[in-house]
Amino acid sequence: MTAQTVQKAVMPMRLDHRPGEVIDRGRELTFTWNGEEYPAYGGDTIISALAACGERIFSRSFKYHRPRGLLTASFLDPGCMVQVDDEPNVRGAHRRVEPGMVVSPQGVWPSLEYDVKSANRAFGRFLSAGFYYKTFIKPRRLWPLYRRMLRRFSAGGRVSAGPAQGYFDKRYAHPDVLVAGGGPAGMAAAVAAGRAGAQVLLVEEEYELGGHLRWGNELDALRVLREEVSRTPGVEVMVNSVVNGRYDDNWVAVMQRDLSHVQERLVKARAKTLVVAPGLIERPYVFEGNDTPGVILSTAARRLINLYAVKPGDRAVVFSANESGDAAAEDLRRSGVEVARVVDARRDGDILRAKGDGKGLRSVECADGAEIECDLLVTAAGWTAPTSLANMAGDRPVYDERAARFFPSILPEDLLATGGIAGDGTLDELLAHARATGQEAARRAVRTALRLRAGIPQRADEQEEPESGSSPVAIPELPISAHPALFRGKTHGIVDYSEDVTSKDLVAAEKEGYDSIELVKRYTTVTMGPTQGKLETVNAVAIMAEATGRTINETGTTVWRPPYSPITLGALAGRNFEPVRYSPMQPWHEIHGAKPLVAGAWIRPDHYGDPASEALNVRENVGIIDVTPLGKFDLRGPDVPKLLDHLYINRWDNLEVGAVRYGVMCLEDGVVFDDGVTGCLGPERYIMTTTSSGAAGVWEWIDHWLQTADPGWRIHVTPVTTAYASINVAGPKSRELLLRLSDGLDLSPEAFPYMRVREGRVAGVEGCFMWRIGFTGELSYEVHVPAAYGLHVWETLMQSGADLGVGPFGVEAQRILRLEKGHFIVGQDTDGLTGPYEVGLGRMVRLDKDDFAGKPELAWQSERDSRLRLVGLQPHDGSLVPPEASQIVENKNEIVGRITSSRMSPTLGRSICLGFVAQHLTTPGTKVTVRLPDGERIPASVTPHHAHYDPEGTRQRG
Amino acid sequence: MVEAAPIARSPIAQAAPTTIKHGWEVSARRSAADLKIIDCTPLAKILVLASPDGEVARALGVPFGRAARDPHGTLVVGSGPGEWLLLATPGTSPAVTQRVDEVQDEGLVSVFDATHGRAIMRITGAKAPDLLAKVCAIDLADEVTPNGAAFRSSVAKLVTDVVRDDSGGSRSYLLHCERSSGQYLFDALIDAGDEFGIEVDGFVDPGKRGVHRV
Repeated sequence: MTAQTVQKAVMPMRLDHRPGEVIDRGRELTFTWNGEEYPAYGGDTIISALAACGERIFSRSFKYHRPRGLLTASFLDPGCMVQVDDEPNVRGAHRRVEPGMVVSPQGVWPSLEYDVKSANRAFGRFLSAGFYYKTFIKPRRLWPLYRRMLRRFSAGGRVSAGPAQGYFDKRYAHPDVLVAGGGPAGMAAAVAAGRAGAQVLLVEEEYELGGHLRWGNELDALRVLREEVSRTPGVEVMVNSVVNGRYDDNWVAVMQRDLSHVQERLVKARAKTLVVAPGLIERPYVFEGNDTPGVILSTAARRLINLYAVKPGDRAVVFSANESGDAAAEDLRRSGVEVARVVDARRDGDILRAKGDGKGLRSVECADGAEIECDLLVTAAGWTAPTSLANMAGDRPVYDERAARFFPSILPEDLLATGGIAGDGTLDELLAHARATGQEAARRAVRTALRLRAGIPQRADEQEEPESGSSPVAIPELPISAHPALFRGKTHGIVDYSEDVTSKDLVAAEKEGYDSIELVKRYTTVTMGPTQGKLETVNAVAIMAEATGRTINETGTTVWRPPYSPITLGALAGRNFEPVRYSPMQPWHEIHGAKPLVAGAWIRPDHYGDPASEALNVRENVGIIDVTPLGKFDLRGPDVPKLLDHLYINRWDNLEVGAVRYGVMCLEDGVVFDDGVTGCLGPERYIMTTTSSGAAGVWEWIDHWLQTADPGWRIHVTPVTTAYASINVAGPKSRELLLRLSDGLDLSPEAFPYMRVREGRVAGVEGCFMWRIGFTGELSYEVHVPAAYGLHVWETLMQSGADLGVGPFGVEAQRILRLEKGHFIVGQDTDGLTGPYEVGLGRMVRLDKDDFAGKPELAWQSERDSRLRLVGLQPHDGSLVPPEASQIVENKNEIVGRITSSRMSPTLGRSICLGFVAQHLTTPGTKVTVRLPDGERIPASVTPHHAHYDPEGTRQRG
Repeated sequence: MVEAAPIARSPIAQAAPTTIKHGWEVSARRSAADLKIIDCTPLAKILVLASPDGEVARALGVPFGRAARDPHGTLVVGSGPGEWLLLATPGTSPAVTQRVDEVQDEGLVSVFDATHGRAIMRITGAKAPDLLAKVCAIDLADEVTPNGAAFRSSVAKLVTDVVRDDSGGSRSYLLHCERSSGQYLFDALIDAGDEFGIEVDGFVDPGKRGVHRV
């Protein structure tokens, strides 16, 4: 056998070479379909390859599980949805075959050929429109059963249970002109716009530019247009991509699929002008049996023959109402298909029904009574203008009775339409219209660009000439050709192939009172399937018009919304950008086994293996903790004290150089917002610190007051959180350790007492400052060093303090230490209602200041007893650590407080807590009842101080 | 006392081999790729806050949204209303600061050495705008963001200052952000640039030419 003979044996429907074919006969490959291996050529779609091998059934329908085959041989084909490897709902008539691809039918059981669920057909009359609502509404208790059953019957493929697959991407684009549709009109418009100087993005759903020219007889014109596109500078082409939506101000979503390295890319394009050139979509004809495998559209036949060299059948009937049907008949004849009859709708010919069996079409019954045996029925009944993008721009399409299709009506200034959507005519007429449209699109884009650029800062030498104004380009009118109005024949058939909605369903819905097309859509689900109305909307509207006695224009259309075609969740999500922040010491933390803690965007060391030991080491020796995330602000200017007085509840106008003061910020409602220390480093020079999580909020708060409190204030504020690496050196040996590293700084208690700040050199690094504060309750120094030297200083501290027992401690140890000391944490021990009086800071509130944020509310609060108070709590059983948020109750279940912080204290060997209790329970020694989450109640007592450890503060002041 | 000279480190892990330049650990790698990314964090970065109508503003001569080199080779970026970022050769912060300090301005002027607070990186190559278009929504066309344009935007969801600073006819962008997110931004840019063949190039002392250009 020759190679050609072998090929004929395995691909019996494959034709000899076609002039416009897109398959690469030099690249043979195999893939698996339905468990068996099939051959294909490079460039074949899954379905074209299978059709070449004689396969005709590729899926089962949604509701009745009728066998389905080819219809459009394009992305839209509703009968060609397949599973490819782990990917469900793949458009088999669009997706190209890849070597080794495993393709399987979806939602069939046990097999595509013998689908048990096709028994639904026997109950078809019970499965009419709305049967879900009628059937499964009662009894409600059976709904879980119904749900399980319905899920078994649902169509669609299998989503992989594994983690997300594939790499999805995003991109931004700012074309002057975006052309949606790469047919002849789209190409001509793009070239014209590009030649006018515009940056153009030309988007085409198919793998190649050309539209209907690809499968027609004008290949020379196609070649010329493609060359023009490739030669025109400024024209970027995206094929296998689709414009999925048009939003305000021409924000256009493009789904790009022609990329080797990413599965899909969502292109967010802000087009100055959008040119809509989607061509026309061939409309199916509604009659009995119109979904039988072997009933296809004329464009499908032409695609199969001319692009993929596949013979669509052996004996055909052609139902033609236009040139496309006539051309399909010619293509069929040329490819060796016996055309048994051409039924010409223009001469009142009609089809009554298609008859078939489980394997496909067997005969066609014509309106004149003739029944013709055949395995192929090609229909050419008319066109649908995909006006989606125009609809999304606010346009409502208008039906033209003469052309039997809708047209856009009033388009916005930044949107133009060309090609089949705008009218008919010869190829030359279409191209002339498209070229003028492209030029006009470029002109409008220039006008938009000039308007936008007027708001961009320019140097004096870059001032642009004002817009000189240009005249609109004259766009010639396209003629509109007459076409028979063919929607439904004399029998009922499928209207929505995706949802298995018949014309009978629509008529029944109208009889039930659903006389609005929008209601019928929702009731019957017509146009709601994967094709999203592109094949079925006009037929549905026409059938509703017939049923209601209204005209098609009176009936109107449903609203087409984004997305134009179904879109993967992966593409919508895109790449997962999640900024993270690291301190300069992060490499050290990682090497030394720190367990990471995600604190907002910061990644911090939670602990290094044993937080209790880390805490004990701080109490006994010296520990260092990375506190770089602390918010830090550099404040300069003579009016900084005024700002501080306004932000904090306490007084700041007397803070002397070298001093550090603790402050609490409240919002205008008197709620504690943030806290921290601020030090005066020099005349008119301060550093403010905030909580780590509150830094961004404080920055906004400062900015707010700088702009609104007093415009005359002379203050500059710079966020410097990451300009300094911050290290808290804490423990009784901290002074000794720092003495070894601080060159020239007198660290004696007399020279550098508690709550003071000093600047100097640490570990050889200039420009450091440190202040003596004590969040841990120990003698401690917060050292702030220029960030690039943070790792150097940290490593030097570890090396120099080895003999002192220095060790790192993480956030968890710090939380234990501060709880032992009784320091509250904003956000942990406070909530959105907590004021300073509740947390025991009433003495800090200086109501004698002229004004500060929250003063009126705090003045009001100062005259009233606050509802709750923060107190120290000691469980009687020291081995029990009540979980945070445990309730404090009395009188059975009356809630009178809650635990805000709790830990086992390694220093004290017992549990310790902070919590809110009602006023009458605040007296030290008061016994309270803590209700644990499991309902158990344990006794605890209110302690004299928040601090469980060193309440006098002798250690931190040492 | 500790004798070892402190080494300044960028927040961005340096591609091997590494060396020490101006007291900074930098990558000594050299790339000939068409699209390169360079960690320029060692550059001196001086933040100036002053009245947009004052003498300092006139001396700096660059409005908000623009960037230009001064006679000393320092890249002056108008990074905000009344805010400038001056980028200069590593180790020149005192000299740059002094030059600003010497300007007599009656208004409040603050000069802050932000060298340690910011990470800065440069992307150079014809495909640089294509890379940025994957992570930044700003229009990078010549008409909108010409050479010398400076803007603050979201880059890979991170607040980033971007300066277009072309070199030798090649598109080049400086991107700077808070130091703590430097590694994140660098990684995001490399990821976005992978399809364009981006490679890491080591930092080169710009010497008297001013801010490092490739």
